[in-house]
Amino acid sequence: MQTLADYYGETLKFDKLYNYCPGCGHGIVTRLVVETIEALGIREKTMSVVGIGCGGFSHHYMNVDAIEAIHGRSPATAIGYKVALPDHVVFTYQGDGDTSAIGLHEIMHAANRGMPITCIMVNNSVFGMTGGQMSPTTIPGQVTTTTATGRDVDIHGHPLLVPEMMRAMNGVAYLARESVVDAKSINKAAKSIRKAFECQIKGLGFSFVEVISPCPTGLHLKVPDAYEFAAKETLSYFKPQVFKNALENNDEV
Amino acid sequence: MKETLFLKNTEAFAESMIRCGIRGHFAYPITPATDVMKYTARKLPEVGGRMVQMESELAVSNALAGYACAGKLGATSTSGPGMTLMQEAIGFMAAGELPCIMLDAMRVGPGDGDIIGAQSTYYQATRGGAHGDYRVIVLAPSCGQEIVELMPVGIKLSLTYRNPVLFVVDGVTCQMTETTTFDDPYDYTADFDTSDWSYTGADDHSKRFLLTGSYTHEQGYEMNERMRRKYEEITEKEQRWEQVEVDDAEVLVVAFGIHGRMCKDLVANFRNEGKRVGFIRPISLWPFPNKAFENIPSSVKSILVVEMNHGQMVDDVRLAVNGRVPVHFLGKTGGDIPMCTLAEMSCEVSKLLEGE
Repeated sequence: MQTLADYYGETLKFDKLYNYCPGCGHGIVTRLVVETIEALGIREKTMSVVGIGCGGFSHHYMNVDAIEAIHGRSPATAIGYKVALPDHVVFTYQGDGDTSAIGLHEIMHAANRGMPITCIMVNNSVFGMTGGQMSPTTIPGQVTTTTATGRDVDIHGHPLLVPEMMRAMNGVAYLARESVVDAKSINKAAKSIRKAFECQIKGLGFSFVEVISPCPTGLHLKVPDAYEFAAKETLSYFKPQVFKNALENNDEV
Repeated sequence: MKETLFLKNTEAFAESMIRCGIRGHFAYPITPATDVMKYTARKLPEVGGRMVQMESELAVSNALAGYACAGKLGATSTSGPGMTLMQEAIGFMAAGELPCIMLDAMRVGPGDGDIIGAQSTYYQATRGGAHGDYRVIVLAPSCGQEIVELMPVGIKLSLTYRNPVLFVVDGVTCQMTETTTFDDPYDYTADFDTSDWSYTGADDHSKRFLLTGSYTHEQGYEMNERMRRKYEEITEKEQRWEQVEVDDAEVLVVAFGIHGRMCKDLVANFRNEGKRVGFIRPISLWPFPNKAFENIPSSVKSILVVEMNHGQMVDDVRLAVNGRVPVHFLGKTGGDIPMCTLAEMSCEVSKLLEGE
């Protein structure tokens, strides 16, 4: 009988208890990253720098070295690591709070610097680990434990569109927003994550993939309803697209 | 072959760290520490190294942590507000047992403060500004030559104990230009094998990960107990100080950095007049040289602590003396002359000699 290890190879790690809540989209994104590392054969020289929040659990399920960085600072930590070991593959795995609230400063300068590292931002539109508070990517009207009557843009501002902010930066080689709300989207997300890592390996520059992901616990919804909320409400604001792909330009040369 | 150079002391810091093997310097411009990064930006590429200018001291210190995770000893240099921003990552590096070399070119605080030199970050350096029971090894050279002499010491301490090492130098000393003699370049970092703990990819070892938190309360307890034992060992083994004319002294002056340097003239002047004055100059501020105060002679009637602040190290002197002798304080921070003059120090010592 074929086992999961036969299918996923060495990168997926099974000996740690699964920490994600039932139905959490993080499990899918983590698997996609694992599949990329396995397919590219880079496990032995890959460093995972994880943020604080549920995304910090991601490395538990990967047989790669990891740094649990300070909240929001993983892009800076990844840059320091890449300076020390430029031939290694370094990626950050962060949530929307870690990336776009406390860590916006670091992620934007990392993008603009253009050093070849890869940043994965899993956007579930809430602070999940602390129990569903508003994050910068909470959508207008969304009820959270800190926006009891829904996010009011007059008070809290509009949701932050992180890839759109990076679009004009010349150092960014791969830039995409994907989602894991259905099978078709997951396949597209898999391709983008793979291309982001390929950009790094080819030294083309900074690569970034935002992945829209449901948080049933933080949204206080049943799993199917959380996926439906993400597919309809969240994606209506955060439109999936590939903004930049230096691999195409690179192939043409 | 020794080489004597005429350098600003910030540049002496930069030159000595390059000569001692440091190849990664992360920094953000801030007076009066900026000269370090200007120097390394020019000189490090000549030896295969790199100065990486980051977008803030938050990013600087976290990049330094990432660099250290690869098993390499990096450095940073900053001052006042920059040091404050770095506290988060310094606590993180102490918890993660990551080595690094740092310079705080101390200036006047609090808030934005003033760019003129001070010793007002003694508390921050020795107590730390981050949460938790952690310690940073703090070295306080008093001149350019001592910066150069302490650099190998700092590197060895950082890599032996896997702990951040912080040089604190008041901004006045930092901006002085002095003749400084350097030994031949020697890579002290190469004397240490970091492969047994560094995070360099799971190719020759099973997965490693840097965790400064804990998943069980027991793990957190064990992490803190391990660190406590390390700090106790450092406290026992690594106290450093200079002492002059202590054996028969009536009045002891205690000062570090530039005031410690001035004590040489101060004590020599009094001794020329036949007056029994000595001094103790702490070189390691953490661990504080308590041993220097264990056997102060019974001749000592009083102690005067002089600092470029409103009284910070004086607390540690009082703890070390533990009430055996009265401890007095003289200090100043800021102003056009941001420190006590030799005349003011002499006046205070004279009063104590006369029993006032």
